[in-house]
Amino acid sequence: MRTIPSMTHPGQSASPRGQTASPVRGEVVVRLEGIRKSFGPNEVLHGVDLTVHRGEHVVIFGPSGSGKSTLLRTINLLEEPSAGSVRVLGVEYGPGLGAGEKRGRALQLRRLVGMVFQQFNLFPHLTALDNIALPLKATKRLGRSEAEEIAARALQRVGLLRWAAHFPAELSGGQQQRVAIARALSLDPKVMLFDEPTSALDPELVGEVLAVMRTLAESGMTMVIVTHELNFAREIGDFNVFMDKGLIAESGPRGFFDECVNPRTKQFMAAVL
Amino acid sequence: MTLASYDWSLVWENRTELLHGLLTALEVSAVALVISVVVGLVLAMARMGKPPLSWLAVIYINVFRGVPALVSVIWVYFGLSLVLGINFTVFQAGVIALVLLYGAFISEIYRAALQAIPHGQREAGLALGMHPMRVFAQVVLPQATKIAIPNIGSMFIGMVKDTSTFTVIGLLEVVRVTQNLNSTTFQPFVLYTAAAGLYVLAAFAIDFVFRAIEKALATPPSGRVSKALTHRKRRRLEAVMLRLEALSGRT
Repeated sequence: MRTIPSMTHPGQSASPRGQTASPVRGEVVVRLEGIRKSFGPNEVLHGVDLTVHRGEHVVIFGPSGSGKSTLLRTINLLEEPSAGSVRVLGVEYGPGLGAGEKRGRALQLRRLVGMVFQQFNLFPHLTALDNIALPLKATKRLGRSEAEEIAARALQRVGLLRWAAHFPAELSGGQQQRVAIARALSLDPKVMLFDEPTSALDPELVGEVLAVMRTLAESGMTMVIVTHELNFAREIGDFNVFMDKGLIAESGPRGFFDECVNPRTKQFMAAVL
Repeated sequence: MTLASYDWSLVWENRTELLHGLLTALEVSAVALVISVVVGLVLAMARMGKPPLSWLAVIYINVFRGVPALVSVIWVYFGLSLVLGINFTVFQAGVIALVLLYGAFISEIYRAALQAIPHGQREAGLALGMHPMRVFAQVVLPQATKIAIPNIGSMFIGMVKDTSTFTVIGLLEVVRVTQNLNSTTFQPFVLYTAAAGLYVLAAFAIDFVFRAIEKALATPPSGRVSKALTHRKRRRLEAVMLRLEALSGRT
């Protein structure tokens, strides 16, 4: 268990859990500008801007179909924006790039970004260890023993080293999601994206995944989280974004959950909390 | 005539020739299978790709799935060799004839298998910063192959049976051997029944081998063959874990 902040940081005795990461805004890690996205004739994002600073924990929430997952997925270009630009640290992806350039840029950008999916998306044909070692070998040109060593360390960090030789089908949902988090982290990303990481889990298993995420947040990792766990969001969110109908309806810093004014936000929170 | 008047001892007396025929049939089929899997995969990717390549693939697949093996081998041995100016041996002609047909069949097996892999697998690979080709080769393809394997096994059995038509170009496979023996002994019922027995035997053997492969590819692997194969891997993993424990113990 984590200690209460007041015990380790006497000056912050009034702050809620999880506010150890500094809310002071540092370097910009992610900048989305004027993002639009259409699927066929159906536009689901109508021009969204979002900035994420180093060490910041951004929470995105809102009703189904509001475009929050799509927005998250444009950050690592799993969805290619129909218009607007994406920039992660020095790498910019936007209109005006040629087809070949886009490919290279997307690869470069994705190597700065880690992602955790709702359905875990572990590779079922590989052991837990190989799930982590494969992308290490593929993207960092590491040899087998080196990659396996890093992978084993990553598993150890999420408390699953003794499951290294097991296949995803042999793990619980919570364990699978922890392996998925370890896999993303092992590549040393500059920002981590979480797309409803606990929505597919049995209620009993949600806690272990949130605990790993909480530890990660405390270590100062920059995080963007799409979630329906509003209690967790309230605890961890340095910047909170409520999306509705393809736009950011309202956003705000810590305390947002008690101070929001938009009636749609209030209505949603009343229904969920 | 009663059953007793059939001379079944013929089969045993000529076992060497008959088994040699079966071996030839298996050899042609095995070589053709390996090439067909590669051709099938390429065709499947072409079909799932963009026009006009996808159209060409569709036309090819639908034509060659419909052509009988007998026609295919005659085209190759008497036609293609003229067009290309290459004198194929009967063995080579047999292999090419099978690849032309079974490449088309296997491409459809692979297409179904590739489409069965959840989209999230590819997305996870891409999100991890892997090159799209690498994601295909190391994430999607191994999983699709696992799905395709049982059907590829059936194709192999079909190939062995289709070699029976290659008697027309003089390949010394089971039927050709049977015909030769029949021309001197006049016991077609006995000899062709023996031939059928050999094909069934081959089918059983192939089924056994493909089942072993399936077990080895299962996650976690099961079966004796696969356990022997994964033993080394497990030892290596244990070594990694031990080293790590030693390291974390020191700090």
